[in-house]
Amino acid sequence: MNQPASEHALLELRHICKYFGNVTALEDITTRVEAGKVTCVLGDNGAGKSTFIKILSGVHQPSSGEYTMYGNPVNFTNPRDARAAGIAAVFQDLALAPLLSVWRNFFLGVEPMHMGLVMRSAFMKKTAKEEMAKMGIDVRDVDQPVGTMSGGERQSVAIARAVYFGARVLILDEPTSALGVKQSGVVLKYTRAAADRGLGVIFITHNPNHAYPVGDRFLLLNRGHSLGDFAKAEISRDELIRMMAGGAELEQLEHEIGIR
Amino acid sequence: MTATAVPTPEVEEQEVIPPSPVVHADERISHRGPMQRWLISPEIGAFIGAVIVWIFFWGNARTFGQANSTLNWLDVAAPTGIMATAVALLMIGGEFDLSSGVMTGASAIMIGLMSRTFMGAGINIGIAIAATFMLAGAVGWFNGFMVNKTGLPSFIVTLASFFGVRGMVVVLSQRLVGKVQVDSIDKQRGAAGWKTWMAHEWKFVEFTGRDQLFLGLVIVGGLAFLYGLLEQSFIRRAGLNGRAAILTVVGAVGVVVGFVGLLKTVGVTNNLIFGLIGSISLIIFMVGLALTRWEGRTVLEEETPPMQKSVALRVGLGAAGVALACLTHIPFDRRQRLPVLTWTSDSLRPVIAVLAGIAGIALAVRAMLPSLRGRWKPVGVIKLVLLSLYCALLMVAGVAAFLQLTTVQALRTIAMLALGGGGIVLILAARGEAGRSSKKAQLMIGTLAVVAIVVMAIVIRADSAAPRFRTGMFAAMMLGAVVIMANTLLEFLMIKRREADAKADTLGKRLQMLGAGAAVIGLVIRLIFTNFTAAHAAAVKAAGGSVGQNVLRETVVWWLVVAAVGAFILNKSKYGNWIFAVGGNKDAARAIGVPAGTVKISLFVTVSLCACLAGTLIALRYGTVQANQGIGLEFEYIIAAVVGGCLMTGGYGSVIGASLGAMIMAISTNGVQSTGWNSDGRFTFLGGVLLLAVLVNNYTRKKAQAAR
Repeated sequence: MNQPASEHALLELRHICKYFGNVTALEDITTRVEAGKVTCVLGDNGAGKSTFIKILSGVHQPSSGEYTMYGNPVNFTNPRDARAAGIAAVFQDLALAPLLSVWRNFFLGVEPMHMGLVMRSAFMKKTAKEEMAKMGIDVRDVDQPVGTMSGGERQSVAIARAVYFGARVLILDEPTSALGVKQSGVVLKYTRAAADRGLGVIFITHNPNHAYPVGDRFLLLNRGHSLGDFAKAEISRDELIRMMAGGAELEQLEHEIGIR
Repeated sequence: MTATAVPTPEVEEQEVIPPSPVVHADERISHRGPMQRWLISPEIGAFIGAVIVWIFFWGNARTFGQANSTLNWLDVAAPTGIMATAVALLMIGGEFDLSSGVMTGASAIMIGLMSRTFMGAGINIGIAIAATFMLAGAVGWFNGFMVNKTGLPSFIVTLASFFGVRGMVVVLSQRLVGKVQVDSIDKQRGAAGWKTWMAHEWKFVEFTGRDQLFLGLVIVGGLAFLYGLLEQSFIRRAGLNGRAAILTVVGAVGVVVGFVGLLKTVGVTNNLIFGLIGSISLIIFMVGLALTRWEGRTVLEEETPPMQKSVALRVGLGAAGVALACLTHIPFDRRQRLPVLTWTSDSLRPVIAVLAGIAGIALAVRAMLPSLRGRWKPVGVIKLVLLSLYCALLMVAGVAAFLQLTTVQALRTIAMLALGGGGIVLILAARGEAGRSSKKAQLMIGTLAVVAIVVMAIVIRADSAAPRFRTGMFAAMMLGAVVIMANTLLEFLMIKRREADAKADTLGKRLQMLGAGAAVIGLVIRLIFTNFTAAHAAAVKAAGGSVGQNVLRETVVWWLVVAAVGAFILNKSKYGNWIFAVGGNKDAARAIGVPAGTVKISLFVTVSLCACLAGTLIALRYGTVQANQGIGLEFEYIIAAVVGGCLMTGGYGSVIGASLGAMIMAISTNGVQSTGWNSDGRFTFLGGVLLLAVLVNNYTRKKAQAAR
């Protein structure tokens, strides 16, 4: 099922392993991320999703295997290297200050200034509004505190910010896990929107129902091992759900407790 | 490999993902009107508080509000204001500094000690000041470094510095000059020169053009503010409305006629005639102006839905409150200065006691009832009886104490304010609620509110004990009535803008800021100058009267500079952004690349440097510093910042608000002195102000965050 790489993908991981002492966190993981495509990484708790993101974003280094960007091997020693290379991770806790307004959050840490003295607030407000509109959100009032926005919109502020500041690969760590049904839909829409703007997106989740509509490629993890790396054409939603739910194990369980 | 190109069997069942960008508006976020913008700013609680406190003392103390008194409380507010600015920045950054008070005194002492004793005969005071600034900066750096490194709460770290600095100052002072105070600092080498440039005093008595300048600035500022409000609220017309323009001109002429008439004539009848002309013209002017440039509603016909119960109830209660407020002169004599309990007749006192007792028992029964229902056990009954007894006694004692401490006159004022003010607020609230369903009902209830305000103004004018309430308060209430009437009419006649319009909002905001600025400058000129000429002042002195000496001290200027720089940094520079972010969510700020540790350290250093500035000013001005100078003041700074709208947990607040908080404290100190009350009473007063301001702040912040 793993097809050979035709062209150089934006990101490519081949036979990645990661050991912490004698604990195997990841074993022989292979997948690729292409520009304009969404790669979903699915797995239950303890499947190795966090380790996987940490390797991608430069927090950890793989014990063995190849990590390439546009075909060139990369070796990130810390998150800053990864960020400089255009790999932006949006974590669940979001890196937003809730009482701060949308436009101030958007440019936090990289504020454009007039002569190094005054923030270019008009430009910042305009840009924040435009970038959010590109994500499909009409922020009527960029002066509103981020804390007043819904969870999905907050996620999309973080995404829009990463996109605006030149991210080429966007790693979304469980962006829908804390959200309700409708909000999750909103986030999925923005995830797709980010991919449609030419970014490679890595979407980490344990919910196949969220992954299937947005994903172009699915990497399934279970206890550090890859259950397979599928293009969308190769797998149906039901298969995905079945594999995620533990597949054979679940059938065994159904037999045991007599669920039909 | 290109997976999405191949349609999957389930493609029809998939969630439809619309092509981006499809702009999706959050329907829960409505457009904020300009008044809401003002009302949700963090300073609003402090601003309203400062105005109320000022009016309170202005009405109660004859000398309060005169130029020398104003300059006096500004001088008191200045050091607190300097410190409150820095403490507010630190609080927004999420930390406290308990050593900020003692640092002011310690800096003053250090300057004194260095300039008197170092190198034998002491060093030049300029060098002493520079060295002290460096030392203070080091203390601030230590605080910030410890908080960063150890992760201890800043309460603990700065409490340690507080004790450390406090002890060191006393020991040094005793060893070097042999006592716990340092005097004659102002006689040291270089002190005179430094005093002229850092602690200068400007003395003035006269400014004959004061009132004209005041009125001019307030009128021009008010107009700019009004225009800005309209620009932010309504939709611009394609062209000007000619007929409305004529109305505007007529209104303007009427305002001028009324105003000149009021100035040039005397007598109640004349005042009434010209006052009415002016008020009605002002309403015509405002409505005409709005209709000239902005879109009015074309369809004024509408179905009148039945009035909601809650609206009717509020209007009824409000009207009843105002009516009762008008009748307070029947039971209470406004000139009676006896305590209420002494004044009441012998037969009335038992009645009051019994009523208070019954109220207490009722409260106890109400509190206990839910837990007793259905199971009447002896223990429960005993508990109920004991609690009832306790509450009854407490109520009787409380009511008696209150009535003994309150004069008849004060009780009447309280009753009148509570009934009348509460009634008007209720009617205004009903107006807002009615406006959501029916514009006509809103117009009617708004008119009723205006009538209520006018009636209350007339009642206050007719028999208030304080002469200033009879004149100034009356005028202010009438002006308020005019503004509310015009606002009610505009709500009825105009279409409100629902969409943000960046250009109009920016223009509106600029005009509002300019207008508010001009009005404030006018007000300040009115407050800090007397309108005496030098000749007049001399004549008053010759006749044995006294002309208060007006001294503007440079401390006030330093305060304004520090507050302006602080506000600029917080709102306009990226460091302000970082301060907010570090206080609001430190880990997030750090993750995104804000140097959180550096920001915190620089905030602690800022507090210490400001403390050193305040200490320098104290040393230069008084020449003598006690070793316990400044101890306990850190709480005043924190109170000023909190009253000014800073969130104690960080991430939200305002420097301007902190300065307003400092002003509230200075006004109450000075005001209590002016009224001749026991000056320790200001603490009770401050407690009330603190609680009230924080309640208002919490309320507005909730509005800012939730209601959109």
